[in-house]
Amino acid sequence: MTLILRTLAGLSLAAALASPAFAKGDIEAGKQKAYTCAGCHGITGYKNAYPTYHVPRIAGQNYEYLKAALHEYAKGERSHPTMQAQAESFSEQDIDDIASFLSSLSEEGAK
Amino acid sequence: MINRNALRIALYTALFAMAVPAFAAKGDVAAGEQKSKVCQACHGKDGNGVPNMDMYPRLAGQYADYLVKALKDYKSGARKNPIMAGFAGTLEEQDMLDLAAYFSAQKSPLHDLSQHHD
Repeated sequence: MTLILRTLAGLSLAAALASPAFAKGDIEAGKQKAYTCAGCHGITGYKNAYPTYHVPRIAGQNYEYLKAALHEYAKGERSHPTMQAQAESFSEQDIDDIASFLSSLSEEGAK
Repeated sequence: MINRNALRIALYTALFAMAVPAFAAKGDVAAGEQKSKVCQACHGKDGNGVPNMDMYPRLAGQYADYLVKALKDYKSGARKNPIMAGFAGTLEEQDMLDLAAYFSAQKSPLHDLSQHHD
């Protein structure tokens, strides 16, 4: 009995470690939370002012990269006034949800 | 009188210089492809990434001027990343323009977040 329990525990731990998919956020919740993002990232050709460059395309970007970018802004390791303010206001769950939503858009292809 | 004219000329020259970004150098897609070999290990052959390495961003289909800004920030240290600082530090402005021109021209699912919210 103990052996079976131990095996089961070991297997579920292995499964949890091997499945980063479980760590992902909620796509639908992320869509709601990403409403604000569209104010700048949702306007084709929209440019940041001073310095002037296009606001990057983030729909279809990679999940882990999006999370890393938001964490860097939140910690001040990457500086941009608007993005730092946004990222600081996000919880860990918000970041997971938003990154899940944005990365899920890669499957639709460029539209 | 002369001083005023001189001032006016100086002002117009300054305005003209600011208003003409056409002088800005442009990137070359073919040259960028040549220079992109070293990027491929992490960002994929065409900048669309490598499977199971999604901590690295897609570069394909990204705006070229944003990519140049990212490279400049890595080089200056404004954006901190040990791997990218090493690569960007070796690049001159023309290299950055060429790389950005190449990656932004590649097919990609990257797009603006315009049609997803009603």
